[in-house]
Amino acid sequence: MLRREHAIAEYQGGKVIPDRLGQKQHGHYLGYARQMLDIYARGVGQNRRQLHRAVWAVFENEPDCPARRIEAFCKLLDDQSEFEEDRGGKAAELRRKVFRMAASKHPLLSRADRLFGSEESAVKAEIAEKFGRSWDDIDADLFSDVFEFRRLKRFEGYESAQALLARYNVAQVQVALFDAESMTVWATEDFKTILRYAKLARLMHTIQRYGDQGYALRFDGPASVLRTTRRYGAAMARFLPALIACRGWRMHAVLRTRRRGWTVALQVSADEGLTSHLPAPDDFDSSVEEAFAAKWGDEPRDGWRLIREGGILHQRQKVFVPDFLFRHDDGRTALMEIVGYWTPEYLEAKLATLQLFQDQRILLAVAREAQQVLPESPHTIPYKTVVPMQAVLDKLNES
Amino acid sequence: MWRALRLSMTILEFQHGTLVLTGMPRDRVERIFPAGPFVWDARAGLWRADAIHYRTVVERLREVNALWEDKVPRWSTVRWPKPNLPPLRPEQQAAVEAWCLDRRGCIVMPTGTGKTEVALAAVALVSLPTLVVAPVRDLMYQWHRRILERLGYDAGVIGDNVFRVRPVSVTTYDSACIHMEKFGNRFALVVFDECHHLPGPVRRDAAVMSAAPCRLGLTATMERSDGRQDDLTPLIGPTVYEMPISEAKGRSLADYEVVRIPIQLSPQEQVRYEELSRVVKYYVAQRRKTDPDYGWEELCAETGKTPEARQAMRAYHAKKSIEERAEEKFRVLEDLFSLHAGEPCLVFVGSNQMARDISRRFLIPCLLSHSDKKERLDVLRGLEDGTYPALVANRVLDEGVDLPEVKVAVVLGGSGSARQAKQRLGRVLRKSGNARAVLYEVVSGGTKEEKRSVRRRDSDAYSKVRHRRL
Repeated sequence: MLRREHAIAEYQGGKVIPDRLGQKQHGHYLGYARQMLDIYARGVGQNRRQLHRAVWAVFENEPDCPARRIEAFCKLLDDQSEFEEDRGGKAAELRRKVFRMAASKHPLLSRADRLFGSEESAVKAEIAEKFGRSWDDIDADLFSDVFEFRRLKRFEGYESAQALLARYNVAQVQVALFDAESMTVWATEDFKTILRYAKLARLMHTIQRYGDQGYALRFDGPASVLRTTRRYGAAMARFLPALIACRGWRMHAVLRTRRRGWTVALQVSADEGLTSHLPAPDDFDSSVEEAFAAKWGDEPRDGWRLIREGGILHQRQKVFVPDFLFRHDDGRTALMEIVGYWTPEYLEAKLATLQLFQDQRILLAVAREAQQVLPESPHTIPYKTVVPMQAVLDKLNES
Repeated sequence: MWRALRLSMTILEFQHGTLVLTGMPRDRVERIFPAGPFVWDARAGLWRADAIHYRTVVERLREVNALWEDKVPRWSTVRWPKPNLPPLRPEQQAAVEAWCLDRRGCIVMPTGTGKTEVALAAVALVSLPTLVVAPVRDLMYQWHRRILERLGYDAGVIGDNVFRVRPVSVTTYDSACIHMEKFGNRFALVVFDECHHLPGPVRRDAAVMSAAPCRLGLTATMERSDGRQDDLTPLIGPTVYEMPISEAKGRSLADYEVVRIPIQLSPQEQVRYEELSRVVKYYVAQRRKTDPDYGWEELCAETGKTPEARQAMRAYHAKKSIEERAEEKFRVLEDLFSLHAGEPCLVFVGSNQMARDISRRFLIPCLLSHSDKKERLDVLRGLEDGTYPALVANRVLDEGVDLPEVKVAVVLGGSGSARQAKQRLGRVLRKSGNARAVLYEVVSGGTKEEKRSVRRRDSDAYSKVRHRRL
């Protein structure tokens, strides 16, 4: 992830627009990206400062490139790199020895034309002789443990030049989010993934229906209810790549600028062409679900249309997204969860969830192995390997 | 039945840096706490408040005789394995007593008058789990050492890639404001060292997310350039004791003198400097024709759009670098080192690069933010016991790092805020017999550095001393 000092953004009419490398205006950046990846791929053994200078040189004649963008590329490249660590403190030990040797000669004068003090070059030559190395060698190693002088050990790289540019674009949105006070996501799909990753990032949610297909999901943190705070901006930034990997969303974050304290909006949506390095969420949790959805098809059966993970049940900070939502032409809806047999712990957790939402009517397709564990209910539809279509339809039509 | 019983029980808990109140009906909460601090959190179905209000909430609940369970504190008493506290001087004793009346508030004492001893006396007296928050890693480790020396306790360390929480721990502001939401209920006393660092918009969370009923702030100066010092009262408590710097001077502090040495850039440097100045000035003047408010921020924003802006920016940085690394400074340093040969000498500079350049030129150790604990100790002790004749440091030594015997300090450039001047003077002002301390300030003539020097002398600490031009 980038740091705040790499952030580039424009402010326009109360909106913040993070720096974005587009194909039209920045098509030639692909060439730069290739060169940068090449510098690092061949750069093993070079120190960070040398690598960064080489990256700077790539942009020497590019009029359209702020310093921060170059620094940001350096950071993204460093993020995929492993640098030598000087674990034994060799440089520190060298310094200790050299400075102790020189202590009695202090101060080192450029010309020893006085009664006391020693000449700089003579003292350095003397020390070099004791080490049996040239002074330039010693001088080069003296601070080799400093961040910018560490040598590259390994470069993991990016999949492609495009991937580096894609990561840059996402990273600029992430770094803008550091100043976010709250974030709202309007989603029509992939609710489960969105909510799961928000929870992993330790965000709290507020869920509201939005239209008849979607939800408005507001994310912030515990203290947000007490005062506006940028405290959870970093968590929102961590969450962003997972959101970008999803479909059918639009995001609006409220940011407060550091210097002036203005409130600005950051808006991003799924169809802006941002690409996440995370894979898109799986369509189905299991083959049983997948088979059932395929068999049901896109057309309604008895007026019931099948929507995968189409409804969110929530109580305070507990969330349950059943596998399927059925929507009838006449407006009725029903939920269905398929309970396969995994482990006793899985069933226990599932049972606790179902109990929490017991006032909801949820059809349960239960695998035979799980039936002894789950209590009998009028909503249960037992199955062996395939969820029986007719039984589901019968239950749906009862309502 | 169980459910009903649980609902009727009022519980106060610590959750992610906030207090959470459950099981109390809305009308009762509103009656007991009409003016806050509790806010209804519909997201989680409970009442929430900042952890900092723990003490007042408890007092209020006791006042109304509420039946409630307190699940907040995760602290108990602490025993000190080997207390070895020196007797306090009268003004130190007065400071401890003033703080103990309410066990919260700030003590303002000049650097070198034994703030640490005062704090350790308070910590020992309270004997409750304590977190000490220091501005930088060096100071954090120094607190660790002092707690070990004075109380015989091996404190936990939170920061510098270490996360070892113990009932008594030391940390930095940067770590504290991130992690307080995790352990804000494990410490009953929080000591904020150099507490003028606290009121920043992010750092204040170190106080806001802590439930500690006892708080102690230590500082040499309450001034902040943003005027946020007033925030310290709600965050820590009022100033309970203040010792002005003039009172300290000549008593427990050495007498001191400031010597200002203006230097000239070499002819080549001067030519280059003026050339670069012209580039910057010309560009800004051009832009101001259309945009009278054109300034630094606008220039930064434009560097991506026009090569000219980038050129101006580069010129600005090159200019700064010339004034900071003027060759003449090395010659002046040679002279000062010769003049004070045999006396430990501290050199402060404005950048890591300059610190390393001086270190490599004179082969004296340098302290940078990257230096690890072991090396820092070696360097600091080495200066103390005479192993090393001098030491060059960037900002890491700005505040409170113990260097008892140093009487000569050289400042090469640096920022001009009043606070930094006091802190840096404080390093030199250590009590050391009758020896006078000297602070040399080396600035480039005719450059921005000279202006900073004027600003620096405007501060209280400088106004009481004699100025001399070499």
